[in-house]
Amino acid sequence: MAISIAAEWNELYNRFYRKQEIYTMCWKNVDLSRHKVACARFGGPIAIIRDESKMVQLRAESARAKLLIFSSSGKLLSSVAWDRPGGRLISMGWTDEESLLCVMHDGTVFQYNYRGELSTSQLSLGQECWDQGVADCVIWGTGLVVLTEKNQLFSIPDLENPQAIKLADPHLEEPPHCFAVIEPQYTLSGSLEVLIAVGSTVLMVDADSVQDQTVSIGPLQKMTLSPNGNFLACFSHDGRLLVVTTDFSKTLSEFTTESALPPEQLVWCGVDSVLLYWEEMLLMVGPYGDFVKYPYDEPVVLIPECDGVRVLSNMYMEFLQRVPDSTVSIFKIGSTSPAAMLYDALDHFDKRSAKADENIRLIHDSLADAVEDCIDAAGQEYDIAQQRTLLRAAAYGRAFCRKFHRDRFQDMCRTLRVLNAVRQFEIGIPLSIQQFKELTAPVLIARLVNSHRHLLALRISEYLDLSKEVVLLHWSCEKIKAASDVPDPALLDVLVEKLKLCPGISYATVAADAHQNGRQKLAALLLDYEPRASEQVPLLTSMGEEERALVKAIESGDTDLVYFSIFHNWRQQTVTEFFRIIQGKPLARDLFISYARQNEPEVLKKFYMSIGQPQGAAEVLLRESWGYSQNLEQRSGSALQGPRLKLIEQASELYAHTKEHTFESKATEEQAKLLKLQQELEIATGQPIFVDSSVSDTIRTCISLGNHRTAQRIRVEFKVPDKRFYWLKVFALATAKQWDALEKFSKEKKPPIGFKPFVEACIEEGATEEALKYVIKLSDPHERAEAYARMGMVKEAAEAASQAKDSELLGRLKSTFGQNTAAGALFDTLRDRLSLTGGG
Amino acid sequence: MAQLPNLDNAPINISALRERAQKDLGAILDSMRGKKVLVLDPQLSGPLALIAQTSLLKEHAVENLFYVSADPVQSECKNVVYLVRPQMALMRQIAAHIQQDNQRQLQKNYAVFFMPRRTIVCEKVLEEEGVLANITIGEYPLYFIPFDEDVLSLELDNSLKECKVDGDTSSLWYLARAITKLQEMYGVIPHIQGKGKAAAQVSDILSRMQREQPRPPPASARLPEIDSLILIDRQVDIVTPMCSQLTYEGLIDEFLQINNGAVELDPIIMGAQQGTTKKVKVPLNSSDKLYRELRDLNFGVVGQVLRQKATSMKQDYSDVTNTQNQSLSDVKEFVKKLNALPEMTRHTNIAQHLSTFTTKPSFLSRLSVEQTLVEGQSYDVSYECVEEVIQRQEPLISVLRLLILLSITNNGLPKKHFDYFRREVLHSYGFEHLFTLNNLEKSGLLTKQEMKNNWQLIKKGLKLVPEESSDVNPTDISYVFSGYAPLSIRLVQCALQNDWRQSELLRLLPGPTFERFDKNQVGPAGDSSRLVALVIFIGGVTFAEISALRFLSAQEGMKYDFIVATTKLINGQNLLKTFIDDPSAVH
Repeated sequence: MAISIAAEWNELYNRFYRKQEIYTMCWKNVDLSRHKVACARFGGPIAIIRDESKMVQLRAESARAKLLIFSSSGKLLSSVAWDRPGGRLISMGWTDEESLLCVMHDGTVFQYNYRGELSTSQLSLGQECWDQGVADCVIWGTGLVVLTEKNQLFSIPDLENPQAIKLADPHLEEPPHCFAVIEPQYTLSGSLEVLIAVGSTVLMVDADSVQDQTVSIGPLQKMTLSPNGNFLACFSHDGRLLVVTTDFSKTLSEFTTESALPPEQLVWCGVDSVLLYWEEMLLMVGPYGDFVKYPYDEPVVLIPECDGVRVLSNMYMEFLQRVPDSTVSIFKIGSTSPAAMLYDALDHFDKRSAKADENIRLIHDSLADAVEDCIDAAGQEYDIAQQRTLLRAAAYGRAFCRKFHRDRFQDMCRTLRVLNAVRQFEIGIPLSIQQFKELTAPVLIARLVNSHRHLLALRISEYLDLSKEVVLLHWSCEKIKAASDVPDPALLDVLVEKLKLCPGISYATVAADAHQNGRQKLAALLLDYEPRASEQVPLLTSMGEEERALVKAIESGDTDLVYFSIFHNWRQQTVTEFFRIIQGKPLARDLFISYARQNEPEVLKKFYMSIGQPQGAAEVLLRESWGYSQNLEQRSGSALQGPRLKLIEQASELYAHTKEHTFESKATEEQAKLLKLQQELEIATGQPIFVDSSVSDTIRTCISLGNHRTAQRIRVEFKVPDKRFYWLKVFALATAKQWDALEKFSKEKKPPIGFKPFVEACIEEGATEEALKYVIKLSDPHERAEAYARMGMVKEAAEAASQAKDSELLGRLKSTFGQNTAAGALFDTLRDRLSLTGGG
Repeated sequence: MAQLPNLDNAPINISALRERAQKDLGAILDSMRGKKVLVLDPQLSGPLALIAQTSLLKEHAVENLFYVSADPVQSECKNVVYLVRPQMALMRQIAAHIQQDNQRQLQKNYAVFFMPRRTIVCEKVLEEEGVLANITIGEYPLYFIPFDEDVLSLELDNSLKECKVDGDTSSLWYLARAITKLQEMYGVIPHIQGKGKAAAQVSDILSRMQREQPRPPPASARLPEIDSLILIDRQVDIVTPMCSQLTYEGLIDEFLQINNGAVELDPIIMGAQQGTTKKVKVPLNSSDKLYRELRDLNFGVVGQVLRQKATSMKQDYSDVTNTQNQSLSDVKEFVKKLNALPEMTRHTNIAQHLSTFTTKPSFLSRLSVEQTLVEGQSYDVSYECVEEVIQRQEPLISVLRLLILLSITNNGLPKKHFDYFRREVLHSYGFEHLFTLNNLEKSGLLTKQEMKNNWQLIKKGLKLVPEESSDVNPTDISYVFSGYAPLSIRLVQCALQNDWRQSELLRLLPGPTFERFDKNQVGPAGDSSRLVALVIFIGGVTFAEISALRFLSAQEGMKYDFIVATTKLINGQNLLKTFIDDPSAVH
């Protein structure tokens, strides 16, 4: 068996190439020669449309052209009548997103998906291009370039952001021989460059400039860039194939063909060899001038991939690639590599031959490498039986191998299962393992999903431990589109049953889709399953359900979301309706009030009045009234407090509306009264020192100014309690150092606050003499002791303390006056005496 | 710049939290290319100093640091990065800066980063000011800031006031988010207990956040590092912050104000030469070994401890000088001890300065008033004390502290007294405080008596004023207030004793009592190992309470290490300040 495998390889210098048949095309009666064909990379779909530029004989088919889209195995995916305006179809090509671009003669670009559905976003290359007419076009994964009949170049370099630009004018009289595109990712400048073959030279054109590369290898009739963007394969008019670097600084190889006619197709196979196709002949040329010829008796289309070329003919899909190293090491004729020995050992083992053990012993040192090679080679195979044999060989070897990384084996098995699944001809994605790695699993899943292979995509996600969210969300959205006649509750059940497979999935996304499809009810039902308020609220809002959005926002406890919703309601609803909505929702109401207090006092006042809370409105008015007090500086002695008073009086009235706010009503009434009185005082005294001070402070100011009559008047009018009046007057007199008045005051009647405040006031003003007058009047020896102590009169303090029988106080006095040892001793004696008396 | 607090001894790896915050800060600075100026919300400079050294700014190409203010940024630098809390007033100032630049036709790049997150309201303000289009908006998701190895804070100044007065529960959402972030790092906490309305709200938002995030990040798959979460609404215990804290750290805070883990002192206090006026910033955290020892003690003991230490040092010194044949290792040992000398000097200075306050008769009489109020047995005496402090116009906040104590310990004031005191306050301090009084009433701090007073039941049931209490050799947490055991910490004790929901006593306190186990979590690994409890005070926590928890944790038979987290480190003074609503002072 091993011999037969390598026998099918072709050697090109020192490397082998193989061409494997992947599919027998399951399409019927397709003749590629009669069609324009566009094949997507990575085993993607094939689009064909009758080539109107060729004379073809119509057989049993409609005269109207059809756009047909097949899978790589030839399964029809869709078929649409071709009725696009815009003149001739110039070119077709697939993008990385697997959408089919059809470039028309007038520069219009139509986009189709797999299912033959025309995308609503139509691209255009602009008026100038429209005027000139498109002559030729190159499409790559993310962009396109067209050449007009007036030899101008236009491009959409990035389809994500479809802006058409015009490249610099190359000033050509004649159409160029050919042109090639260097994609932005491969250029030094990071922007698109186009090579055009003119005369015997090549011009490099970008958006701003045209550069002559001054080469004389031309005229070039065909140019193709290598997959890594480093080299250019060119076919010259005299039948030579040249490989040069893209800056034309170096010619890497040269091969003379026997044809003066340029090949129909010129593509790279990997980065080592170039394929040239003429009718009935495929020629592969290696780097050192070696070549292989593959005869074909039917037309083929070459599809370059990252690791080889797919060859599509009417009958077959084949894959031409360089044989991977691991495969070579096992199957090369006469190979004695460890991997080949291991593979052989398995064969012996299956035949129950002792030679199996011998083999293993022979390669014992490099067993791990051998196992690795077998695993790798298994990955390279399309044939499942062959994969299995290689994996069994690996497993057999691994059993003798202590330190082999076991995940490697499992990973390969898992990858192969996925690959085998998508390679099945019903699915028809013939990915090689390299292509799969380059494409990545999530992109593969996205492609499956796009072609409505949801179940397979879900299984693969599950199997590879990827998030199922993408698949389920797409499925749900498609389901909603397709099930327009299913009633909401039934559809909801179907959707939820699947969506719950993936915890944390965004129900809001599906709901948004339902909403877009006009299924409001369904959207609302779905939203109830969405646990994330941050997703629910904006959607409900955009669905016009502002109030429900607010409720959800409140439930979340996220105040920011609540604000979001409040602002929306505020904008969308009438004022009355808005007030009604927030009134019943405490959190929303409170947040609105907090915001409005700072920013919209007028709205807030209205709100309070509308909900029957005049006290709230009163508060707003009061705040406003205080705003006037800020202009204190500008106030010149006797500014009138008119507007301010008015506001305060209004507030007082509003407070009076509700019984619970009698206190506030009276307080504001007093406030107004005080303000009037203070204003009078300021006018009378000419001193701006009264307004905005408190009742107590006003009394103090009056007393210290000697205006006892006014003080008395305030005392009466504001019903100031006796005690407070005494406190105020004592300290006011002491501060003004009116000692006689103070003494007189102390004798008016027995002070309701006792004499202690008199003592304190005097001490605070440093008037010890005055203080002593009142100390003796203190009835409590304890208080006396404290007072003496404060004045530093140690002996008197100690005596009073002992009179009070307070040893704690004595202790404290001692610690205060502790530095003075004489005093310290005094306290000790006193305390001893005290404890004696206390004890006795 | 002060050293960052040492977090190595934390019961869980809190350094990771700080490292992440540093990394995030670096990333937001790097998000704007080239040299830039950083314009900081002045309120953030303190918290950020706990996260990173200033050198970090230089490393990320910050040329200059400014603070958001009414004045324009004095820099020609083209790149301006703002880092602010989401507040409307700050937005207006930023907008003004940008408008000024536009008028001067300066083309600059602006980025505004919100800590901890962007808000619709702020964006609306920027939009209305017409500058939103000029700004790149981002977030600096810093929630809990590590203050010490066992203290985390969100530093949201107004949490309690906003929740209870304005009904704005944003801080609760932030807190839940902060806990969620902790859980992402340290695993899902399997056991939650809580008391009070805000606690229940946080717990609800928290479980909602868990529901919204059904795919747990890998970290939470492992065993949880925090075993228990106790949520306490500050509203349940307003008494404690109204009392004067008597621990060393608590007293420093009461008299000298600790801000962001540091206190600023006059140079004279620290024994500096006359003439220097620049305040000395002293960091206060457990990196200072002596402070670590002293901070939780009753202040009455601190002098003693310092004296003992000084004496022993003196002894060591005389040993070294007097004995001739000291071995080198003895000398080395002595020199090592000398390293503690700066700490000794520092704390002796601070303690001495504090004692000038604590020996004042006014302070002592205040303590005795507080004691009487907490005892709650002689209403008339208490009434007169409070009346007197109002009438003699002592500072408003210290008056309110007593008034609130009186109200809470009587389950509200009789209607007549309620109106009387309110009127006295308005007359003495001005009618502008009508709003302040409304705030206090709305939040339940100062209310009218409507139900039977149950303070005595609570006090007795929870042993808030134990018969025996020693400040020197404490056996109970009551030492932190010299005789009053903080109610909040008694609640923590209840929570740990597993009679949480059954307790009749807890029902006397406002708000729901709840408990919740996470079914998906396995129980703690072994019995022998220590457990970690995260205690979160919603609305603020005082230093005395933290000390009480540290004391509890050190008791024999206690298997929990505590981590304290809060919306803000508070004392009565700065807590009440947020309730003061003086309309004549705004703008």
